[in-house]
Amino acid sequence: MSSSATAELGAFATFQRSGANTALRLSGRLDSGGVVQAWPTVLEAIGAAAKGTLRVDATEVTFCDGSGIGLFAALIVAWRTAGGTAEVSGLAADILRLVDVAAAVKPLQEPAPTGFIVSSGIATIAMVKTIRDLVTFIGSVILVFVPALLRPWSIRWGDALQAFLKVGVLALPVVCLLCFLIGGIIAFQTIGPMAQYGAKLQVAQVVAVAIVRELGPLITAIILAGRSGSAFAAEIGTMRVTQEIDALSTFGLEPVRFLVVPRMIAAMVATPLLTAFGNLMGLAGGYPVLLANGFTLAQYTGQIQSILTPIDLLQGLVKAFVFAVLVGATGCYCGLRTKEGPGAVGDSTTRAVVAGIVLIVAADAILGSFFHVIGI
Amino acid sequence: MNAAIEPPIIRLVDVAVGFTGTAIMSGISIDVARGEIVAICGGSGSGKTTTLRTLIGLLPTVSGRIELEGRSLDLDDAASLQGLRRRYGVMYQLGALFGAMSLIENVCLPLEEFTDLPRTAMIAIARAKLALVGLGDDGHKLPSEISGGMQKRAAIARAMALDPPLVFLDEPSAGLDPVTSADLDQLLLTLNRSLGTTFVLVTHELRSIFTIANRVVMLDARSHRMVAVGAPTELREGCADPWVRGFLKAENSTQLATEAISAEKTRATS
Repeated sequence: MSSSATAELGAFATFQRSGANTALRLSGRLDSGGVVQAWPTVLEAIGAAAKGTLRVDATEVTFCDGSGIGLFAALIVAWRTAGGTAEVSGLAADILRLVDVAAAVKPLQEPAPTGFIVSSGIATIAMVKTIRDLVTFIGSVILVFVPALLRPWSIRWGDALQAFLKVGVLALPVVCLLCFLIGGIIAFQTIGPMAQYGAKLQVAQVVAVAIVRELGPLITAIILAGRSGSAFAAEIGTMRVTQEIDALSTFGLEPVRFLVVPRMIAAMVATPLLTAFGNLMGLAGGYPVLLANGFTLAQYTGQIQSILTPIDLLQGLVKAFVFAVLVGATGCYCGLRTKEGPGAVGDSTTRAVVAGIVLIVAADAILGSFFHVIGI
Repeated sequence: MNAAIEPPIIRLVDVAVGFTGTAIMSGISIDVARGEIVAICGGSGSGKTTTLRTLIGLLPTVSGRIELEGRSLDLDDAASLQGLRRRYGVMYQLGALFGAMSLIENVCLPLEEFTDLPRTAMIAIARAKLALVGLGDDGHKLPSEISGGMQKRAAIARAMALDPPLVFLDEPSAGLDPVTSADLDQLLLTLNRSLGTTFVLVTHELRSIFTIANRVVMLDARSHRMVAVGAPTELREGCADPWVRGFLKAENSTQLATEAISAEKTRATS
């Protein structure tokens, strides 16, 4: 028993089905414009009836380019995938040959959706691998760093100086500006509540403690992560992409000694210095608010001297040093782990900044607790 | 009477190319007919790539006029330029595939931007085009996961995504082994014969020129001028300029210099 159905499928296709046989007649221009019109109805019809034999008659096709070839190929592949057979006739021999070439592809395999457990497993494995890599990297840095410090002439001081210029000197204006403003903001925000207790002048103490113990090193480190951690990752990452690091390795030069050590030294020297400048500017930033409330500079500095001890200053500088190690190492690590491709350097840079800032804040919390426990 | 003669797909009228108004190559004039394969050829530093960059509207001409399908290529007319750019595809020397996208996504990109095709149709067309260049089953791969030769073929598929009547190719054979290079030549011939696509390619690969080019434009780095245009074999055997003959015979610079001196002497004595 055979059933027959005929339907007009737009201006470009006529579809006829008779039992196991299906005939499709295409006509007109099969360029991208023609395919746009023909595609939905043709594929829909073919998808619903993809069994038996499909005969495509293209005798009335007046023009066929790559888009048309794509249409014919998709018809053949769809039909073949459903277990049927398909043949095209009426096309020029050259075009028909290209249709055969285009249809000789495997069906497109959509990747199977990954379940929650599998995704979690993949993410966990990736995280463990990253941590292992990081530990390996820190170990290799220490292995290179310590002997290098024992033999200072082996350090590339020129590169370290160049890096110091970028990390330290060029960052000085922005660190000073931000610390000055933050000092002013702290004073401005606290003077109101403090006034309720008649303790306007003690705002100077608040500014001093907040800046020297906490915000001076923190702001400096965050600027370091944004400016220099990202720059380390981008510079070293670009060298990875352009195979310069491979070249170093094949020369027998250790990339860590060559690239990481000078940058780490620059960051470790520059950050405490920047923090010291930042502290000074932060304290200076608080003064205009107190000046506007009628206090003198002598009163302001007196309050600062009464609350701050050398230990507070040292605490801030130790924090700055630790932050510098974390930011420098993270930037260099992300740079050295840069993958291939144009987006890889951008990814490394982003990772360096985000990981740097997260590590800074985490280390700040740990160090703060540690200093509290030991009573300083 | 021949009123129905089709205008050239690209016409160059006394074009000079260069940078910031200074010509590094001048006197380029040629009409390229539909379905032709034309090679722009010359030694290193002759301005081949600069000429190509000018033809595809990335550099302004120093002087002269370029017409694509009868319309002037004017870099100051952004709307017109955008329309013209859909009429040609470009394959860059290193492929210039988008590294973060799979091959299918690379080919789909122009289709997404410039057609109303449904997504499934775009993918099918992109796969068909990749299949035509021998990469039908590699569409899911990233450019970094395939070889240089495959990248060039994928770049051709992307250049032909919108089925432009004209495709420019910059050094298609550069960096490829002879077998892959010959495969690429055959691919261009197949696409040219089957789809009627016009190819303008910059190359100094003589084997490619003699295999696929209908005509060759010879650019001379010494005189900074186009010195000849014609069928490759005719120029090799009968061009008046000894440098052109020598270049197309792949003679070395000493042979070329000797021939140039003897030609000069012949001119002086006659």
